[in-house]
Amino acid sequence: MSLVARFKCPICNADVTVAITPELLKHAAERGAVRTLARCPRGHAAVLTIDQYGYIRSALPVYEQTKPDCEITEKAPVSIRAKLTTILEKGPATDADLLLLEKAKAAGWVICV
Amino acid sequence: MKEVIDNWGLFLVARELSKMIGGSKGLRLFMQYERYKLAVAVQAALECGADCKKPPNEVIALLFDVARRRGVLKGCQPVHVPEPKEPPPQIMTEYFQLIDDVVVNKMCEYVAKPPSDVISEEEALAYYQAFVSAPYYVAFRRAMYNKLAKLYKYSTILDVGAGTQDPLDILAVCEMHNAKCELTALEVDGRLCSDLERLASKHGFNVACGWEQVGKYDIAVVQNILHWATDPVQVLANTRMHARNMFLSQGVIEGSGAVFILTKILGAVRSLSWKEVETLARQAGWKVARRYAKYPDYIALFR
Repeated sequence: MSLVARFKCPICNADVTVAITPELLKHAAERGAVRTLARCPRGHAAVLTIDQYGYIRSALPVYEQTKPDCEITEKAPVSIRAKLTTILEKGPATDADLLLLEKAKAAGWVICV
Repeated sequence: MKEVIDNWGLFLVARELSKMIGGSKGLRLFMQYERYKLAVAVQAALECGADCKKPPNEVIALLFDVARRRGVLKGCQPVHVPEPKEPPPQIMTEYFQLIDDVVVNKMCEYVAKPPSDVISEEEALAYYQAFVSAPYYVAFRRAMYNKLAKLYKYSTILDVGAGTQDPLDILAVCEMHNAKCELTALEVDGRLCSDLERLASKHGFNVACGWEQVGKYDIAVVQNILHWATDPVQVLANTRMHARNMFLSQGVIEGSGAVFILTKILGAVRSLSWKEVETLARQAGWKVARRYAKYPDYIALFR
């Protein structure tokens, strides 16, 4: 069972939870601190510096160059369109949003270039 | 009065949900819309040629059964149910749109062919994800786990047939009480299991992709899975081998509505009455410790 630590996404300020594994703590203990990449629910990337106690010392933003261009197809049902529109415009806010987007792509409701 | 006594636990949960749905007025509107959508679906099925004495398939048979129980179909005669004048409670809008998308608007197609020919497997999975993660369902589960199951009091929890949303709701309730719950989410569906594994690494819970990976737990949560299971007694018997207590919540045919047709279309294999659910649990060796509600959701703690 992993420990859990929280940080604010340095790009959108969303609350993010990350699992701090025993391996990560071991590496941090050996080196003083360890760096790892984490993503917020909206998909923004951040480099975390974690100390040997599992405390997140810093979360630095990673700005990525491209974002996939997606659109909702006519097949998408009315009940889910509004949600999909929000997810595509603002990025997935929760894990459930992210899963819904993936399933919607598989169902042909969303197409990404 | 009988309904209140039968379902006292649901009233505890409803108190938490009441504000979200708009109090008793919101609840009344919700019931009116449930009946109305059912009536529209029945009307559509009959107009598209479904024989009410010999329904063409299980979906239509279930629709007629539920409609009769709700007084929307008398024999083979549809009862006129007027459309409610006010819109449904805000939080339920998405639900009724989902019922329109999956049940009402495709009813003619279900009369002519099986649901798997109307909705692809990928679409069913996407609808399922939208349904289980919708705010009303999340709120219901969290209220139930908080007020009735009191899951935060148990240190090891097994979530049987977890799906992609239930573990997050259990963890949210534990977190609400600052409780350290060690959660294992069991999922035998391979497609859902890979999603679960991703969630688990992020949220710090364990995943078992089959019973052979399951240990021993203080309590097992069995939430609305018996209608998907090919052998529900076996599921409950397996649960008994791995947990000291079982919190069981299962939507049952008594008082059910359009949501039953929705899950049937998405692949549910059976519908159960509350007595059948309790019998299945007894057959698996469980004893009722506390029953909170009989219908439309059967909710009980077993030992």
